[in-house]
Amino acid sequence: MRDFIAKYGTALAGLLVFVFLLVFARNFASSANLLNVLKQTSFLAILATGFTFALLTSELDLSFANLASLAAVVTGGLIAGGTFWALAVVAGLAVATLGGLVNGFLVTGVKVPSLIATLGTAAIANGLTFMITGGVAFVGRWDPMFLALARGELFGIPVLVVVMAAVVLIAWFVTRKTRLGTHMLATGEAQEAAHRAGIATRRMKLIGLTLSGFAAGIAAVLLVANLSSASPQMAGDYLLNGIAAVLLGMTMFEPGRPNIAGTFVGALIISMLANGLVLLGAPYYLQDIMLGVIVIASVSVSASVLKKAAFSV
Amino acid sequence: MSDILTVRNARKSYGAVKALRGADLSVAAGEVHALCGDNGAGKSTLIKLVSGVERPDEGDIHVRGEKVRLANPHDALAAGIATIHQDLGLAPRMMIYQNIFMGSELERRVLGIKVLDRAAMIARSQDFLISLNSVMRDMTAKVENLSGGQRQAVAICRALRWKAEIIIMDEPTAALGVRETEEVMKLIRRLKENGVTVILISHNMHDVVAVADRVTILRGGRTETSLSTDGLTSQALSERIMGGA
Repeated sequence: MRDFIAKYGTALAGLLVFVFLLVFARNFASSANLLNVLKQTSFLAILATGFTFALLTSELDLSFANLASLAAVVTGGLIAGGTFWALAVVAGLAVATLGGLVNGFLVTGVKVPSLIATLGTAAIANGLTFMITGGVAFVGRWDPMFLALARGELFGIPVLVVVMAAVVLIAWFVTRKTRLGTHMLATGEAQEAAHRAGIATRRMKLIGLTLSGFAAGIAAVLLVANLSSASPQMAGDYLLNGIAAVLLGMTMFEPGRPNIAGTFVGALIISMLANGLVLLGAPYYLQDIMLGVIVIASVSVSASVLKKAAFSV
Repeated sequence: MSDILTVRNARKSYGAVKALRGADLSVAAGEVHALCGDNGAGKSTLIKLVSGVERPDEGDIHVRGEKVRLANPHDALAAGIATIHQDLGLAPRMMIYQNIFMGSELERRVLGIKVLDRAAMIARSQDFLISLNSVMRDMTAKVENLSGGQRQAVAICRALRWKAEIIIMDEPTAALGVRETEEVMKLIRRLKENGVTVILISHNMHDVVAVADRVTILRGGRTETSLSTDGLTSQALSERIMGGA
């Protein structure tokens, strides 16, 4: 029973919150609102999935939100300047991926702790977004094909949700079913042991941080297409949300360990709570307080699991 | 029995500190060979050379009669030498089979995509453990939930997975209780029965006398002597190590 609660307790709590909002939050149960929650979850889940890869190798990435903002203004700026949208998308993805690669190089090559390295690249990315935009958002009547990336439907399902599902499923598959995922996990769990077993631990960390950047690029493109605008710091709020989703995810399914399924459910719970609080008429600042509580509580729970593991070895 | 591993006149210095001043080691195939000596005698340095962690300043290493250059632990593994360090090198929160196959996971193709072959790894892990007479049913149990002896068994299985013919065990019974120590002794005996050569580094003379066929004593970076453990008592061995007759 204790095992069951440790694995599924958070998800069950999320289910209870869902039922509570269904009953008490007016309009929460409407199909339009539920779809909206799913759409909001998409951006968060994609960003948090990337961060999960970094954390899986025991490295932090505090730059993914600002890298997403940078990728967004690069994409938006290029489209606004007349570049074919597909090229602009590739450029946006490349910029964010390059940012992740730089993080990886700083951590594995220059040996800068990831907390500091990614804080630095986050600041640089932030500066670059203002340099590119001059502080003014790119807006315009953009190619409907580009906008369809976020607003279109595929067999009646919003493209956003399809992309999120694809990202989450591929990430789950990689982490659970492939040698790469196992090597990343081993790197994060016991770096020295993994190294002695012949695993290229530095490469695993490089890949983890690069994937975090790549995921930020995907989320950025979708954000721009959804809003048909690109502004500095447009993804800034996703930093704490993304971290909260991953940490909340670490309290379920595989307690104490970053895991894709947990991250997805974590993102879903956070988006649902944010939506529910608005519908319940809660003051706007309550959302930040809620995120803070989630981050601290999640780490407390995960830390106790990790501590138990450490003591038993 | 012919020697499977020989080290001749190994010298190694760290700055002004001469850790090895011409150490020799001859290990026969299939034997349990203990390496003993007081702190600073050069045991760890000699093992680092054989396991590819360090390179000798002078001296040769031969495996199965052929001179080898062990530039790193992977070279040592390729030569059939695996080292189980005191910390065992396991990932405590990962499963038994994941630890045994860490770094050399089995894969199969599904629709052209390589995926982990979990079932095969579990079955092979079970086989490895059975070959050691070790009873562990659930290969998906986490290593953190195993006893000290069981963890040693998992670490040995990983070495066997690497097809090691020589397994170096560094202080395998340190920090273990009586029952767990006996478990490890059984594992070492079982390895010998299976034809695996074991080099045992231990401060515990009772363990050495109980399980080793021969013992090499190092002192001051040199090989003092190499002798059979037949009729040797732990008391007599301790005296030899400390410089007695």
